[in-house]
Amino acid sequence: MMDVVVWISFIILCLALVVTFIRLVLGPTLPDRVVMLELMALLTMAFIGLYTIQSGHSAFLDVALVLALTAFLAAVGFARYLEKGGHRDDD
Amino acid sequence: MNGLTWNIMLALIWVAMTGNFTGSGLAIGFLLGYLLLGVTLRDVPRFSGYIRKVPRVIRFLFFFIKELVRSNFRVAYDVLTPTDYMRPGVIAVPLEAHTDGEITLLANLISLTPGTLSLDVSTDRRVLYVHMMYLDDPEAAREEIKYFEKRVLELLR
Amino acid sequence: MMTEWIAAGLLLTGALFMLLAGLGALRMPDLLMRMHATTKAGALGSGLIMIAVAVHFGETGVTARALAATLFIMLTSPVAAHVLARAGYFTGVPMWSKIVRDELKGKYDEDTHTLAAPQRYRNKPPADDGKAPDDGAG
Repeated sequence: MMDVVVWISFIILCLALVVTFIRLVLGPTLPDRVVMLELMALLTMAFIGLYTIQSGHSAFLDVALVLALTAFLAAVGFARYLEKGGHRDDD
Repeated sequence: MNGLTWNIMLALIWVAMTGNFTGSGLAIGFLLGYLLLGVTLRDVPRFSGYIRKVPRVIRFLFFFIKELVRSNFRVAYDVLTPTDYMRPGVIAVPLEAHTDGEITLLANLISLTPGTLSLDVSTDRRVLYVHMMYLDDPEAAREEIKYFEKRVLELLR
Repeated sequence: MMTEWIAAGLLLTGALFMLLAGLGALRMPDLLMRMHATTKAGALGSGLIMIAVAVHFGETGVTARALAATLFIMLTSPVAAHVLARAGYFTGVPMWSKIVRDELKGKYDEDTHTLAAPQRYRNKPPADDGKAPDDGAG
C-alpha cells in the first residue's frame, strides 16, 4: 500500500512543481521569483522525504536537512541583495 | 535553567539504569524526571520556575499546531475560491514585547497563523507591521495579534 | 499495520498542502498574498512529509533528524518570508489594486534605512533597548 501512496504523492508533488514553475516564469518581479525558488526548495525537500521512504535508505534525510539550510541562506542572501541595490525590477 | 539540567541528568540516569539507549527511553526518563522534580521540589524557589514553565511550553506547542492547521485550512479555502472577496491591507500593531527573542517568536507565530504575515518591525521597536488577508476591521485585527502577543509573553516571561 | 496507515495519511495530506501552496502561488494577485499561501502551506506540507518519514521508519536516529528538519522549517520559513516580504515591499513591488489600507506606506527612510512607527504609537513611554524589560509586566 505504501508504494501506491508514495507514487500518488510523487504525482501530486510533480503537479505542485509544475504550478510553481509556471509562476516562476510568469514573475512578474524578482521577489516573486525568489519566493517561488524558495517554495521549490521546500518541494525538493518533500521529494527527498518521499524518496527516503521509497528507497528505504534513511541517509537521504541528511540531504533534506542540508537543502533546508542552504535554501534559507539563499533566501536571506537574495533579500539582502534586493535591498542593498540590485535590480529593482527585472521586467 | 537549573531545573532543566537536573531533569536532563535524571533522564540520563534513567537511560543508564534501564539500559534502554533509545529516543523513547530518553523521553520516558525525561517525563519521569520531570514528575519527580514536580512532586518533590515544587516549593524550592530555584526549581519552581522551571516546573511551571514546562506545561506552558507544551500548551504553547499545542496552541501553535492548532493555529498552523487552522491557517492552512484558511489558505486552502482562499486558494480554491475566487479572490474577489479578499480585502488585503497592512496595519501597524503596537508591541509590548521588547527583547529580540520575544519579537522574533511573535513575528514567526504571526507569519504561520491564519491570514497574517509579519512584514517588519519599526526601528524603535514599538510597532510591528503586519499584512492581513482580510482587513475588514483594523481594530479587531490588532486585538487578535495582541492575543498572540499575550500568549508569547506568557511563555517567555 | 497502524503506523503504515498513519504515514500514508500524513504523506498524502502533506503532498496536498504542497500542491495547495503551488496553486496559491499561481492564483494570488500580489507578492504578499502569494507569500501567505507559500509560507503556511509550504511549511506545514513539508513538515508533514518529514513527520511521515519519521513514522514510517520508526527509528530513533531517523525520528531525531526528521524532527530536526521539521523544527528547522518551522523556524526558518517565517523568517525567510519576512526578509523577502520586507525586501519586496521596500523595493517597490506593486500591491494588488484592491488593497484596503496600508499603514506602512511612506514610513521607510531609504537613506538612513530606518522604519518609523505611526505617529499615534510614538508617544508611548520609551521602551528600553532590549536589555531588560523594566515595566514589561504591565
